Amino acid sequence: MSELALRIHGLRKAFPKVVAVAGVDLEVARGEVFGLLGPNGAGKTTTLEMIEGLTVPDAGEIEILGQSWKRDGQQIRARIGVQLQSTSLFNKITVREALDLYGTYYPKARSTAELLDLVQLNDKAEAYHITLSGGQQQRLALALALVNDPELVFLDEPTTGLDPQARRGLWDVVRRMKAEGRTVLLTTHYMDEAEALCDRLAIMDHGQVIASGTPASLIAQLAIPSVVELTFDGAAPDPAAFSARLGETVEHRSDLWEIPTRDPKGLLPRILEIAEAAGVPYQQIHIRRATLEDVFLHQTGRSLRD
Amino acid sequence: MVMMIWRQFVMEWKLYSRDRMAMFWTFAFPVAMLLGFGVIFRGGGGPKLSIVYVEPAAPSPRDAALLKAMDEVQLKVMPLAPAEAEARWGRGETAAEVLADGEGYRLRLNSYLMAQGGAAAGLVNQAWLMAQARLNGAPEPKRIPVSVESPGGRKASNYAAFLLPGLLGLNLMSIGLFSVGMVNVSYREKGKFRRLAVTPLPKWIFLLGQVLQRLTISLAQALVLMTVGWLAFGIQNQGSYLDLLVVMVFGTACFMSFGFALSSFAETSESYAAIANLLFFPLMLLSGVYFTLDSAPRWLQHAVTALPLSPFLTTLRAVFNDGSGLAGHGLALAIVGAWALGAFLLAVRRFRWA
Ligand SMILES: Nc1ncnc2c1ncn2[C@@H]1O[C@H](COP(=O)(O)OP(=O)(O)OP(=O)(O)O)[C@@H](O)[C@H]1O
Ligand SMILES: [Mg+2]
Repeated sequence: MSELALRIHGLRKAFPKVVAVAGVDLEVARGEVFGLLGPNGAGKTTTLEMIEGLTVPDAGEIEILGQSWKRDGQQIRARIGVQLQSTSLFNKITVREALDLYGTYYPKARSTAELLDLVQLNDKAEAYHITLSGGQQQRLALALALVNDPELVFLDEPTTGLDPQARRGLWDVVRRMKAEGRTVLLTTHYMDEAEALCDRLAIMDHGQVIASGTPASLIAQLAIPSVVELTFDGAAPDPAAFSARLGETVEHRSDLWEIPTRDPKGLLPRILEIAEAAGVPYQQIHIRRATLEDVFLHQTGRSLRD
Repeated sequence: MVMMIWRQFVMEWKLYSRDRMAMFWTFAFPVAMLLGFGVIFRGGGGPKLSIVYVEPAAPSPRDAALLKAMDEVQLKVMPLAPAEAEARWGRGETAAEVLADGEGYRLRLNSYLMAQGGAAAGLVNQAWLMAQARLNGAPEPKRIPVSVESPGGRKASNYAAFLLPGLLGLNLMSIGLFSVGMVNVSYREKGKFRRLAVTPLPKWIFLLGQVLQRLTISLAQALVLMTVGWLAFGIQNQGSYLDLLVVMVFGTACFMSFGFALSSFAETSESYAAIANLLFFPLMLLSGVYFTLDSAPRWLQHAVTALPLSPFLTTLRAVFNDGSGLAGHGLALAIVGAWALGAFLLAVRRFRWA
């Protein structure tokens, strides 16, 4: 059973004013945690919803758990679990009722008690959906995605709106899913999360996959293993003059400068020297390894959380 | 699968009963209508015809004889001083008034209210003939006796008894068009069905669960209304309760499915409201909820019997008011049933989660 959980080819979707997805190919192996990254509006949700059978693609093929929507719609629905980017339930349904009710929609269902434990909503079991906080609603949505013991799980920004503890809780849930042999396709805006959870990633922008691979291979491809950061107290000044004297590109972020380099050891003394001479009012200087965030910024040319 | 339908049904009930306002209106509205109209028109088959009588400066025996005769023909006489009568006429509230004019009287009819005014004028003329005969010493004129009965001949019933089945029908229609159709459009609009769309829940089970829940509401509502009708006006079901149940089930299935089917034609709540009102008001006015359609053209009277509300009301009234069995109403029930089935199939075909 080494076959693919998901194979999509040439997937396209155009809305009246924009081409949301412009030819996406993806392959996700069984048992893999696969991350879809990309700036707002990149087409992640649209891609997921086409795979989930919610949106009809304009073109392309989707093979999901060896089945196709045309022939086996009901069977596919019974085998997948879906957490939508925003899940809107009936206002006055309680958490327990929602889990019980959705359980009855499937041939096999996990027990409500187990699911409540999993997402730590035990003390909210009798609360109406509308009275839950955003993070609690998000956790209920996650529990609903797991209600049918799915083989393939789609999580669209599962940690958006979660507190740090709940976020780690979700990471544990995802890791447990992987350990149980489920396949997970998730989107996220957090690079640390993608690095921590995903076996493989695809970065999307403008409806297309612009890079894909394991987190490590993506960072390695960047070929700039280190970044020197100068932080400022308040807004960072314009680095143009500094950059010219240093002879390296300096990226200007709101309160820091970033200097990507292959040779931080050689560069650091020169940076200190020039900064001293030019009276650059920096507070601290760091050297760090390049991260997925650098890959993302490099690939999309945009800051993520804008 | 039966389990799924049951769960869907129970959940619908829970969601519904948690919306206190909606529940209150479902039950309060028809009861208020029944009590209101029932009390206002308590006398008999509708309001008494009224006539404004412009009081002369010095009443003569002739005037006294006319007043007495008008009372005898069941006219409601409103005596007013000339200035007051003129003011009332000016406000357009008077349908007909009678005033002394030389040797006799003159009738003045409001052109906007000819149906009322014309009937009143006929009665005034009849009263005037009687008064003249008496003044001239002719033998007491004979009148044709009038009896009020229900069409089935069971019982002389009051207006509330006519109104009650009408209200039951009207409420089914409003639950169907608004509580089913409108609610589903707004759920779809708010994306509440999207989560259901990714489950294997078949649409028809979801729809059927809702139909069954609305069916129980409408039966509960009928029970409340019939109890109030009995306590307040002594109206009782004249037929068998089983027949009544059958008719109600047909009607509910029909109007609920109608709401579903209609909801699949509108994208937004606003456009749905427009479509629903467009159907609701003509059906209400043309199907004999409050009054019969005697004055409409014949083709229209025939046409409405093919629409669902009119045959439903005819059958319901036959059972409830006249104790008739269902045997003679097969065609009417078949029409309602055909609408129910057609609408349900259309709904299952067209209904979209998103
Ligand atoms: N129903 C729709 N009608 C019209 N345009 C749409 C619709 N849904 C999405 N779009 C457009 O398609 C593009 C991709 O949207 P999508 O939701 O897939 O992005 P995303 O990558 O999930 O973004 P985010 O990170 O903000 O969730 C956007 O430009 C969006 O405006
Ligand atoms: Mg999205």
